Amino acid sequence: MSLLGSPQKGMNAFRYLKVAIVVAFLIGAPLYWRDRYITTVFISALMFGIWGVMYDLQIGYAGLYNFGFAGFICAGAYGSALAALHYEVSPWYGLLIGGVASGVLGFFTGLVTLRLRGIYVGLATWFIAEVLRLTISNTPGYTRGMLGLAVKPLPDVLGLDFSRAVLLPYYYLLLLLVIIIFTAASLMVHSKIGLSFKAIREDQLATETLGLSATKYKLINFTTACFFTGLIGAFYAHYIGILTPDATEFGVPRTVEILTVAYVGGRGTLWGSILAGFLLIGFQEYFRELGAWRLVMFGALLITVMIYAPKGLSTVKKYIW
Amino acid sequence: MEFSIFVQLLVLGLVRGSMYALMGVGLSLIFGIMGIVNFAHGELFMMGCYLMYFVTRMVGLPFPVGIIASGAGLLIVGIILEKGLISPLRRKAGREWLMDSFVLTIGLMVIFQNLALITFGAIQRGIPNLVTGQMVIREVVFIYDHLVILSLALLTVGLLWYFIKYTSMGKAIRATSQHSEGAQTLGIDVSTMYAIAFGIGAALAGISGALLITLFPANPNAGMGPVLKSFVVVIVGGLGNVKGAVAAGIMVGLLEAFAMFFLAGGWQNVIVTSIVIAVLVFKPAGLFAPAGERP
Amino acid sequence: MSLEIKSITSGYVKEVPVLRDVSVVAREGALTAIIGPNGAGKSTLLKTIYGYLRPSEGDIYHHGESIKGLKPDEMLGQGIAHLIQGHSVFPAMTVEENLELGGWIIKHDREALEMALAEVYERYPILKERRRMVAGALSGGEQRTLEIARLTMTQPRTILIDEPSVGLMPKLVDRIYEEIVNLKEKGFTIVIVDQKVHKAVDVADYIYVLRLGLNSHHGPREKFVGTIEDVIREWI
Repeated sequence: MSLLGSPQKGMNAFRYLKVAIVVAFLIGAPLYWRDRYITTVFISALMFGIWGVMYDLQIGYAGLYNFGFAGFICAGAYGSALAALHYEVSPWYGLLIGGVASGVLGFFTGLVTLRLRGIYVGLATWFIAEVLRLTISNTPGYTRGMLGLAVKPLPDVLGLDFSRAVLLPYYYLLLLLVIIIFTAASLMVHSKIGLSFKAIREDQLATETLGLSATKYKLINFTTACFFTGLIGAFYAHYIGILTPDATEFGVPRTVEILTVAYVGGRGTLWGSILAGFLLIGFQEYFRELGAWRLVMFGALLITVMIYAPKGLSTVKKYIW
Repeated sequence: MEFSIFVQLLVLGLVRGSMYALMGVGLSLIFGIMGIVNFAHGELFMMGCYLMYFVTRMVGLPFPVGIIASGAGLLIVGIILEKGLISPLRRKAGREWLMDSFVLTIGLMVIFQNLALITFGAIQRGIPNLVTGQMVIREVVFIYDHLVILSLALLTVGLLWYFIKYTSMGKAIRATSQHSEGAQTLGIDVSTMYAIAFGIGAALAGISGALLITLFPANPNAGMGPVLKSFVVVIVGGLGNVKGAVAAGIMVGLLEAFAMFFLAGGWQNVIVTSIVIAVLVFKPAGLFAPAGERP
Repeated sequence: MSLEIKSITSGYVKEVPVLRDVSVVAREGALTAIIGPNGAGKSTLLKTIYGYLRPSEGDIYHHGESIKGLKPDEMLGQGIAHLIQGHSVFPAMTVEENLELGGWIIKHDREALEMALAEVYERYPILKERRRMVAGALSGGEQRTLEIARLTMTQPRTILIDEPSVGLMPKLVDRIYEEIVNLKEKGFTIVIVDQKVHKAVDVADYIYVLRLGLNSHHGPREKFVGTIEDVIREWI
């Protein structure tokens, strides 16, 4: 029973209030503190949080194991950066281009993994992500490869200064994107489409005998999640200012970080990843001098959660919120 | 291409191929017997490299001791990992066991890589060769080092084959993988079999790392390349198909050696990985599986 | 008496006992059959005897020694073997390898192992013929024979058999039961659980009827001859 998630809870007044409180906090906190460092923490937390949500959308709802997740962030980031570099496309359009690039890659990946089950989906997605990353690395003429690709900040708009002198505009842009994406994901998951996802996760064969096209819904899930992932990936490119195709950025270690966020937050609960993003990234930033220890802790946390608390934070939620 | 270059590439390809074969056999064994896809396999390779370096360079013992030390050391590490982490997870996991164990091994991979980085730093620690010298037959150069690596790899595979086929423990392990409940009723301790199987898989990775330290010096990321290739090997050969892993390993090694000669360095990774994607799409059970078999 | 099960309460989940206060006695050298409708707890009883499930109450004795909670290799050491439901041969290993593994707990005693193997080949010539064949290639009936033969490698005193006829064609069911009776005649104590009530009753020396996890009737075979239909009807 718990595999199917909680029964459809409608949005009642109490839940609206809870959501409002969270959003108010997210809006107000950085303004209150007005500290650059805190803003970077919030930005990182939100980014990893929403990536965790997208990972959860694939694995917690449709049972699709995407071990190449970082590759889709990479597609979005490089898609936008290269469009700006080579074709003078405005980074604002670049955000969309990043989303589309990743969405297309996601669609292609969905096609490739159609006939595969479980572990093979994971391995195939990992391979595809590696091919992308290695190709970028091997074509420095176009992508600057390991030398690093400098990415312009977003152009100022609406009188807001996006030059990265002050980071608040980036934060609020991200927050806006995250709210839109999260709402879209929530709606999708609670709709008939979401029901199909869950059916596929539970038993793909049975789903097909009932006439539901597992193919169609797998592709919808993959493409949509990747589109949003790439969108945020493009944001990441313009925010961070430099891209290199190495493994810690767009390879397995990155995927592991996001996987940990999704697992700690609880698979099958979208909001859990946002919360886990704040907990984990906040925790990591606090210990930022630790360098490589950060990843050791992520790995240990992932393993601990897997063995002792497979439902992640959602087990704790009942008692606190 | 000159004949002598061709032969050298062939030997080099076989040497790399034997490494991939050893790694692939370990991975396939672990999957076939326990159903685990071990993402941390590359880190076990890396530990083998470091052990070899430590024993031969720092303690100064001859290289065969180093190889045995790596094998034995990783056997112990494998058993500890299985008893300490994998068994508890197996007891708690439900249907998602396969995937959960995969994620567990991913976590281990990240931990080991970064612990190595912290403990040893990023510098490469290698040894120039196991044996010096070369022989020249009709203008073709055979480097002794390569030949030694090849023969030791062959020896290892041979010993493993003998163990699995003829010793009672090997048979018990096979029995456990074929019907664990049946094995239990005969008094075989299934959990011990799992631990030993994982230990053997780890030992193979360790020996692989030790043997190839002349080509792949010890460093925290030493396992990353080999693990990607090992998965390629195992998928092409068929997950769980040990003989397929050997054949596929050699194929990949040869392909790599020749690809590296003709194309710039990084592309051979792209090519090899793209091939496996194609295999996954068209023949997911591996090139050596009978037609129509689903993974 | 060979095997005594005393007042067992057992189940898969502690709060939900499948068996309640069940007692069964298997006499030495006899074939004791445990029958009952689906869900009566027959398989649960065997699993409890064999140690897969731990009874929350009661005790189990084999030739006077308590065997509650022993592990499979200890059980074999005490002389109890267990044939599980369904196929359990090792399909990719040869007949001979399967038999050798049957002697796993005596593997260090090469002589005893070889003697046991020779005896099995004498008793089951078909297995000797097929000794190098891969077990998966044997027919269904031959596989069952192999499983039974494999069990005798350690010369157990008591053999528990769980649903021997499952998955077999009627002709083969007869053959298997013949072999089981042969075993009994060689002196093994047999406890059998089977859905095929008539077959079990035919060969049994003593019968226990389980219903809804409780002892229902029991008695020597004579008591049930002719009345078995009435007993079955009670279950419906």
